[in-house]
Amino acid sequence: MIGNDLVDLKLAAKQSNWQRIGFLDKLFTPKEQGYILNSNNPFETVWLLWSMKESAYKAYLQTHGNRFFAPKKLVCHLISKNTGTVLINNVLFFTESEIGDAFIYTVAFTKNQDYNFLSDCFEFERPDFETQHSQTYQKVLTAFAYKLKLPVAQLKIEKNCQGVPQLFWGEMLLNHAFSLTHHGKFGAFTIAF
Amino acid sequence: MEKEALITALKKIVKPYIQDEEAFENLSENTDFIKDLKINSANLVDVILDVEDTFNIIVDNESMEKMLTVKAALEIITTKLSEK
Repeated sequence: MIGNDLVDLKLAAKQSNWQRIGFLDKLFTPKEQGYILNSNNPFETVWLLWSMKESAYKAYLQTHGNRFFAPKKLVCHLISKNTGTVLINNVLFFTESEIGDAFIYTVAFTKNQDYNFLSDCFEFERPDFETQHSQTYQKVLTAFAYKLKLPVAQLKIEKNCQGVPQLFWGEMLLNHAFSLTHHGKFGAFTIAF
Repeated sequence: MEKEALITALKKIVKPYIQDEEAFENLSENTDFIKDLKINSANLVDVILDVEDTFNIIVDNESMEKMLTVKAALEIITTKLSEK
């Protein structure tokens, strides 16, 4: 299981006010709020923890049924500045984050199997939803085509009923774990193999 | 409050956060906040806080967990209003 999440920090500053009354209480456990309030850069820590939660939740959804909105059930623990764990209903995910000035990017994965993963972050020409969506799909399909030595035109991605994207070769479902994310000017994919 | 009035109030709340105008125009009970309206998941908490402020109710964690669709939101708001 693998999941990823990217936060465009400039857009996050515009879209959300983390200091809004109730915001931290609805999203973060007391321990997580401690990380935020004791941080030198609370804004960055808010979005680091959020991307940890989102990436782990996306990995979790790939094998565990129904969607839900319960951010405090995604329990974060920081191991270092950019690594940590997220516990979701007794399933433990490890996270690795890239924290930059423009964006924070996190990959979450379980450790019960051996795999490598390949990530790529990219900037969009235009930040509209359609561009974000189609360019992210195109990027991951190109990477898969190269890895699997298949023509890119024969590969497609479709979302299942849980909203989890899946890779198809023609009509055949290929069982490769991957995750896609985009926010504002930036997008990214992670492929496990 | 009538269901139509509730939907109108809810539409006003979600409007600043939607990223799909067409889905917003066609908003119905079956509309999904994230899948259809493309609301950023971090903004879902703003929707919930705005619902709390507008209707003067508290959306507890258990209710919040289900609040992914217009239908679920209407049910939660109706229940919480009737408990007042």
